[in-house]
Amino acid sequence: MRPLDPAIQTVWTIKLAVLWTVIVLGVLTYDVLRLFDAGRTVPAFVPTLAALAAGLAVTLAVPRLRYRYWRFDLRAEELYLERGIWNRVRTVVPLRRIQHLDVSQDVIERSFELGKLIVHTAGTRSSDVVLPGLHITEAERLRDEVKHSITEDAV
Amino acid sequence: MERPEPLAPTPDDGHRLHVLTLVQRVLKSLPALVLATLPLLARRSADGGNAFFLGFFVLYGVVALPLMLVQYLRFRYWITPREIVIHSGVFTRRKRNIPLERIQNIEVERSLLPRLLGTAKVKIETAGSTTTEGVLEYVTVAEAERIRQVVRSFQRRATTEPAAAPAPGAPAASVAAPALVSPPAAEEEDRRLLATMPARRVWLSGMFRFSLLYIALIFSAMQYLFDVFGLDPDELAFRIARAMRGGLPPYAEAVQASPWFFGIAVALAAALLGWLTGVLVNVNRYHGFRLWRVGDKLQKRHGLLTLTDRTIPLKKVQALLWRSNPLMRRFGWYRLELQTMGYDVGQQGHQVAVPFAKRDEILALAPQIRPFALPEVFTPVSRLTIRRRLIRYSVVWLGVLAPLAYFFPVALWGLLALPLLGYLAVLQYRHHGYAFAGGLLYVRRGVFRQHLWILPVERFQVFYAEATYFQRRLGLASVYVDTAGAGTFSTPEIDDVEAGTAGTLVQELYRHFQEHFGVRHPADPAG
Repeated sequence: MRPLDPAIQTVWTIKLAVLWTVIVLGVLTYDVLRLFDAGRTVPAFVPTLAALAAGLAVTLAVPRLRYRYWRFDLRAEELYLERGIWNRVRTVVPLRRIQHLDVSQDVIERSFELGKLIVHTAGTRSSDVVLPGLHITEAERLRDEVKHSITEDAV
Repeated sequence: MERPEPLAPTPDDGHRLHVLTLVQRVLKSLPALVLATLPLLARRSADGGNAFFLGFFVLYGVVALPLMLVQYLRFRYWITPREIVIHSGVFTRRKRNIPLERIQNIEVERSLLPRLLGTAKVKIETAGSTTTEGVLEYVTVAEAERIRQVVRSFQRRATTEPAAAPAPGAPAASVAAPALVSPPAAEEEDRRLLATMPARRVWLSGMFRFSLLYIALIFSAMQYLFDVFGLDPDELAFRIARAMRGGLPPYAEAVQASPWFFGIAVALAAALLGWLTGVLVNVNRYHGFRLWRVGDKLQKRHGLLTLTDRTIPLKKVQALLWRSNPLMRRFGWYRLELQTMGYDVGQQGHQVAVPFAKRDEILALAPQIRPFALPEVFTPVSRLTIRRRLIRYSVVWLGVLAPLAYFFPVALWGLLALPLLGYLAVLQYRHHGYAFAGGLLYVRRGVFRQHLWILPVERFQVFYAEATYFQRRLGLASVYVDTAGAGTFSTPEIDDVEAGTAGTLVQELYRHFQEHFGVRHPADPAG
């Protein structure tokens, strides 16, 4: 069982920080607009501070927890994944069921030389199983390794 | 310009569609035209609507009609011994070659109008693509049957002599029996009738299908027409009432005197209408239902106004699904569906194999699609599932009630429904179970919509074991085996088994899967 590349925590932190900045700015706008509203029941800037606190907590805690529970293993016959903070999911993807493979990289991942391996099967729920947080060379190596197991007729 | 290999019986420049196609396309465009111009028609007296209205018709005559003609003229197709070639398109020319060996399914559909005119729509579906590859709309019935025969005889040749290439100029078009009207004669290799539905049963099955959908559609259509013609439903009702003896007041008084009674009466009337439309829609769909097994395919044909004829290759069947509801089950009726993977996205998912049959009939028939033996006993899930479900339903129910009760305190009576939710949870526990035997996973669940999935080991795709935070606190987990073409709303998930059992179940399922594919000593998937 292998963990992900630790650098993925930074990527997740950045993404969550961006998301929560937008949320906090939204709440701040609401607060400022109601600053001189007479019928206000909540003290000024309390919603903003609450959003800020929630955002900080989530941004700091979630990437670490997510990283801690992520495990994967590529074996001779299957790809095995374990993940989830709240909802623990264990997935067995038989290699013979793989239809095609993608390695993808977004802007943030690119600057950390990370990538994700996306495994497509004919299944319904898991038509794509995503393995994030791999060093890009590692993602490509895994892809090439799995590629040889793809059989002709997976359905 | 490259042309496909000319085939002896076809003219060199290919086939055109049936001439009556033009008539049908024009007729089919009329409802849209009327619908689009209706608002103008109704308000034409208001302000210069007349000119606009006329312009619309001119546009239709000058653009739409000629376009249909050019489309018709541009459309050509060839049936060669090797492939079906379709050339089409007005602004973008499209040339499509469909090799016969890739054709998975030829579907012949005949709705009311084409049937009156003796034509049919042919849909060609291939293995690789997710949509219908080619549509011939419309050709004669004989031509539809000929196309089907060409494909069938090619495929038969391919299976009997795999190495031999089809002889060029083979008399592929020699059989042209108009077999769609009556069931095909014994010209087939091994056609076995699996199921039929006598008219009585079609009507009976309709009585178990209750749907408010169709009356909702009828009412929204009426709403649209009222809007268009500037009618007021209230006024209309008033007029109708006045036309009747005594006028409206007696009715209004009666309604005011006992609103509850009228509320119930209206609900009953709606239920009756829903029931009746359900019966009619069902009869229209399943009239003359027949299911055959032809070689390695299933063929089914049914319909009153629209006659559809569809083949399902057996190797595309991913799972069998028995369905029922408490009422149907009370009288011993079931419905068999097949989960298929493949061609059309619209057809991916569940296909009805037998709409309505007794348990014994399905037990006799279904194993011919995929052999199985229903297990005597199902392993129940953990009893703790009752607690979890009750909590879940109660939270949702209270979430609905709380805001309601804030405004209307009478909603507090809704709390009386809580024991009912408990009973529902118990029923759900009783109806939920699984069994794994003979390389087949059986999962049943559902109280109001009862499902029994039969999932063959060779169709398993991905294996899951999941546990939410609450499940982990109770030492529970859920197991799910994904298959191709599974539904999104109802899935054969096994909820709330003990975590240890879940782990071994996944291991066992995966071990059988591996053994099926010849892996001798599979590694423990959970490592």
